[in-house]
Amino acid sequence: MTTSAAVALTAERTISEDISTLTVVANGEVFGLPIQTVQTIFRIASLAPVPMGPPDIAGLVNLRGKIVTAVSLRRRLKMENDVVETNALAIGIEHKGEYFCLVVDKVGEVLALDDSKRIPIPPHFDPERLRLTTEFYRVGKMLIPVLDVNALFDFAK
Amino acid sequence: MDELLRDFIIETNQHLEEAATQLVLFERDPTDASLIAKIFRLVHTIKGTCSFLGLTRLQHIAHAGETMIGELRNGAAPTQSSVTVVLAAIDRIKQIVEEVERSGVEPEGDDNDMIAELDAQAAILAASLAAAAAPAAATSPAEAPAAAPPEAAAVAAPPEVHAPAPVVAKAPPAKGPAAPAKGPAAANARSSETIRVAVDAIERMMQLVSELVLTRNQLLELTRHRQDDTVKSPLQRLSSLTTDLQDAVMRARMQPVERLYANLPRLIRELATECGKKIDLVTEGADTELDRQLIEILRDPLTHMIRNSADHGLETPSERAAAGKPETGEIRVAASHEAGQITITISDDGRGLDIEKIKKKLITNGTVTEAEVAKLSEDEIFKFIFAPGFSTAKTVTNVSGRGVGMDVVRSNIESIGGSISLQSKLGKGTKFSMRIPLTLAIAPALIVEAAGQRFALPQHAVVEAVGVGQNSGHVIDKVQNALVLRLREEVVPVIDMSQVLGLAQADRENTEQLVVIMRVGGESFGVIVDKVADVQEVVVKPLSASLAHLKVFTGHTILGDGSVVLILDPGGLAMSIGIEKSGDKKRDAKKDVAGADKMRLVLFRAGAGVVKVLPVSLIARIEMVEPGRIEHADGRLTMIHQDRLMPLVPVGSTNFETSRSYPVLVITDGDLTVGLLVDEIVDIIEETLDVQLSSGGYDTIGAAVIRGHAVEFIDVTSYLQGVASSMTRQTQKQSSRSQVLLVHNDAFARDFLSPMLAAAGYRVTAASSAKEALQIIDQGSHVDAVVTSTELGEMTSNELMSAVRRSQATREVPVIGLLGSDEGYDESEGDELTMRVQASDRQSLLAGLSSALKAMQRAEKRSASKSKNEVAA
Repeated sequence: MTTSAAVALTAERTISEDISTLTVVANGEVFGLPIQTVQTIFRIASLAPVPMGPPDIAGLVNLRGKIVTAVSLRRRLKMENDVVETNALAIGIEHKGEYFCLVVDKVGEVLALDDSKRIPIPPHFDPERLRLTTEFYRVGKMLIPVLDVNALFDFAK
Repeated sequence: MDELLRDFIIETNQHLEEAATQLVLFERDPTDASLIAKIFRLVHTIKGTCSFLGLTRLQHIAHAGETMIGELRNGAAPTQSSVTVVLAAIDRIKQIVEEVERSGVEPEGDDNDMIAELDAQAAILAASLAAAAAPAAATSPAEAPAAAPPEAAAVAAPPEVHAPAPVVAKAPPAKGPAAPAKGPAAANARSSETIRVAVDAIERMMQLVSELVLTRNQLLELTRHRQDDTVKSPLQRLSSLTTDLQDAVMRARMQPVERLYANLPRLIRELATECGKKIDLVTEGADTELDRQLIEILRDPLTHMIRNSADHGLETPSERAAAGKPETGEIRVAASHEAGQITITISDDGRGLDIEKIKKKLITNGTVTEAEVAKLSEDEIFKFIFAPGFSTAKTVTNVSGRGVGMDVVRSNIESIGGSISLQSKLGKGTKFSMRIPLTLAIAPALIVEAAGQRFALPQHAVVEAVGVGQNSGHVIDKVQNALVLRLREEVVPVIDMSQVLGLAQADRENTEQLVVIMRVGGESFGVIVDKVADVQEVVVKPLSASLAHLKVFTGHTILGDGSVVLILDPGGLAMSIGIEKSGDKKRDAKKDVAGADKMRLVLFRAGAGVVKVLPVSLIARIEMVEPGRIEHADGRLTMIHQDRLMPLVPVGSTNFETSRSYPVLVITDGDLTVGLLVDEIVDIIEETLDVQLSSGGYDTIGAAVIRGHAVEFIDVTSYLQGVASSMTRQTQKQSSRSQVLLVHNDAFARDFLSPMLAAAGYRVTAASSAKEALQIIDQGSHVDAVVTSTELGEMTSNELMSAVRRSQATREVPVIGLLGSDEGYDESEGDELTMRVQASDRQSLLAGLSSALKAMQRAEKRSASKSKNEVAA
């Protein structure tokens, strides 16, 4: 996402009061997910891999009779040790009529964020990662990148 | 709309459909009083509800109808016109009901015409009944026992005379037991009762059941390691109940084929009247269940096929009698459930398909050539019935024969994953078989395992599963890096599922494997799997957008145990092996994976020698050309290609025969287009082309090795140049065929050689002496070649030769010397002659002439060196 788009998005956000975010952990790093996109949090009982599918897609999961495409956050962020094991934590998110879930290591808490905590995007970050984030917030000592759901689940060729 | 009114409409529609069917049946068998009693009841119910709801129009028609049917019930014999009137009345009621359904109120208008007709028919029937009843007994005894207990009816029956007798005898079971034995009758009625449920509701149930299944599985998993029997047995029950529930919900979408049959009797009746034929309808397997959606899709194709059978299939009664068949033809519609599919057959005992007639039609249509028809099997010819625009009917009737239909039928059936085939025997009848999946949403599938992962293979594409390995008879061979399975007489290409899907492959040297043989679009192939785990009916769910690009999968599903599996697309698998319908797709797909150094090459045979090769990039297109399209023009082979004459050049020594089709490789270079006529396309492959031996030949670049075989790489430019030169020549000279000057002092030889050369496609001018020949040349006649005797008396062939060479117009033409039978080569005569052949050796003469002409055409373009020499000589 370009900086200008990010700015535009931020401008929109200032109008809405609630910019709470759910923090998730992958490989020790903390990320934020816009709370309104999160539908459910569950553990993956079993996973059917998709051969020849996009590598970031860990597989398909049966979530209460719905088939959900599981995307590994570790793989999406090109992190090490990206094996998705059963019983992994996943966050159900509906995106463009499709059911996805984001496989993470841990789910943290819901943080209320506001404009005062927002910091400009550091220019030297990995562009591949920046593509998946909308904005950065500073919460206490932590720097929390908020993930862009649209970019996370966009597998268009 | 009022709830009450809605119920009325649903109910009335069902009643009407039933009444119409029963009426047609009753017409065929008037002795079956139970039928008319049922119809009477149905119409009576409609009348009752209408008056209750204040639908006066409907009430009046129903009333008139009831009166008339009452006469029939009283024993009057039905006439065709009476039945027609009742059917018309039913149609009218339907129309009004539809209107009520739409607007909620009865439409304006009156039905006096209909009522008058019904009344008239009722009067006629009453009169006939009175006439019939007068000599026998009154109508009242017949009616009275109908309501009485069976014993009474049986007592009353014997004294009655024939027509009314069965009425009485049969009436009680229909009406009698209803009152005393209400229990079973009511139960029976309830089982056939239906309610309308929104599809959404069923889908929701399906979803809930899936969740239930998942929860059960989790429970089972939790309790697996516990030795607690108190939990185990109820859990077991829960488990089996869940499975049953799942099955029941899946079946809730099913409906009996009976619904499809319901309007057939009436259709047959109408067709019989329209075509003037006697037709019996036999239906079988009415209780076979099918997805509701499919029933609606099948309705039109079925109607169409029955119309076809009635119109084309069955003969007229007189024709049937003449053929020694019963006058009444039979149309049989049967449905059965086998191997996860529904088979519906429509057969008639009519005249059958006339294969000769179809062949003739195909040839006159230009669909196939006579030569091709001869090669086609009966089945293949029958298949043309399903081609668009095909009809052998001489006359177009109201019913059928316009040639639109069977192709639509086929595409309808195929759109729902079904197939249609037909069998026919001349004089015996025709049988169409439709194979249809049980439902669109639920498909039986083989659950297979490959590299530890499970996949579903749709069963409709599966032919069989064959065990391979040491302990079974079948062995997979590796031929040129590709797997093949020798199965009975066939060699089936085989792919390894784990490999196609890029799965980690376990060491499987000694393990037993299974090959699932599949058939897609008439092509068979095998898929190696580790095992077939199960056969399950799966609910096909389409892939989400992020995975839709995977061509090997059509969808995914949740199995009974709650796990998700991907459903393989048989077509996609076939594609991965190179089997597919469209050649263009293949090209694109291959391009993507093509390595930089690999070329797509066309391997073909042309004449003798090794396989020839050309890169696909040089070929504009490949066409199969029928003999009729190839013509001789301007002394060479041509064909019309995109409205222009395209010269055809036989590659190598391809022997052109007029009787067969040839593949033509169309090559374009700027404005020049030339077709290379070859014997046969062997293959199109992707390989590196490494020319190892360069060639001295004019039309090859060299030889290369492809897949262990030597091939010749054709030089396209030489062919293009050959054509280019002759094209320029063509503009200079107006002759259409090569002109040969035949010089021979022997009249017999001239008379013998001229027709022979003419037959070979040359224009021949004969000269009896060298002098005459030179005169012809001097007059400016165009000469392409000279064939001359070496013994010309006043002038030797060499002298003639020199004279020929002196003339500007002919200095380059080939001159062929004909040797006398006892003459040997006399090299001292010089080398001016292009070649010498024995006069008696016709083959050599023709071959020599044609190659000399070709050489000359090339020489004109290629180099001047040779002609310079000749000029010097």
